[in-house]
Amino acid sequence: MCLVLMDEIDKKIIRILQNDARTPFKHIAEETNVSRDTINNRFERMIQDKIISGTTIILDSKKSEDGLFAFIGVKTKMSDSDVVLEKIKEIPGICSISRAIGEYNIEGIFLGKSMEEMIQIKEQIKNISNILDVVVEVFVDSPLLCPKNFEFD
Amino acid sequence: MDLNKIDKTIITTLTTDARTPFRKIARELDVSPDTISNHFEKLQKLGVIIGSTVVLNTEKIGYTSIVRFGFKVKPTFSSEILSNIIKIPSIIVATKLMGEFDIIALGVIKDFNHLFKLRDEFVKMPNIEKVDISIWIKTMSLKSKYFII
Repeated sequence: MCLVLMDEIDKKIIRILQNDARTPFKHIAEETNVSRDTINNRFERMIQDKIISGTTIILDSKKSEDGLFAFIGVKTKMSDSDVVLEKIKEIPGICSISRAIGEYNIEGIFLGKSMEEMIQIKEQIKNISNILDVVVEVFVDSPLLCPKNFEFD
Repeated sequence: MDLNKIDKTIITTLTTDARTPFRKIARELDVSPDTISNHFEKLQKLGVIIGSTVVLNTEKIGYTSIVRFGFKVKPTFSSEILSNIIKIPSIIVATKLMGEFDIIALGVIKDFNHLFKLRDEFVKMPNIEKVDISIWIKTMSLKSKYFII
């Protein structure tokens, strides 16, 4: 792991953008008492250093017609988990997938446009060979994102 | 909810880059920047767009892994508990579930001490019956717009 040094200005830029990624740099410049160009350079540098991967909007998945989310937990034999993970990754609708240390060895989150589509995704996963068990749990609401909870020190 | 072409273009564009100037989206759609601005405000008012944020590379700022917490809670307490969980630093997403768990939350951790500290916070919270913990390794984010990880 390579840690990148960030100073107070960098941190302030991130904190402001966590709240509202569209905040004009001019406004951040006033808050931090530096020039607009400095903010711009710092922002570009943090993107180059890959501290910042990008900016995005937070959507309510139900209202934006994207559908429903579900948690998925998969049990495989230890030796099969990498192969199974690669296959799950290819299924459309998978948002995030990880090896996991816990009750399941693979866990992730997927998105389906309707209940039917979610069942289809589950069936697709179940059809992968070497899977011992699959558990799917549907999110009741859109997930609540809390980007401001990221702390740095 | 009926979203038209303008709304959909705004959403797709801002999902990849929330700082895209409205001018640029307007040019693509051959409408005025004001139209984009009005549609953006409407989408916010309707709650389709909840906000915008910066996507951070968690590893670069010192987080080593993502932890998935599953909670079983006493009946009728899930909303109250959920609203407390999302206030805890390092928890980046949480929601109610149907199934074995009542609430699921994802958090980012720096090391094991950090994980234990987080777990202790949950243990202190009333009306939580069980906390299940799973550590995610080699997480692949394929669609980050809902998860910022």
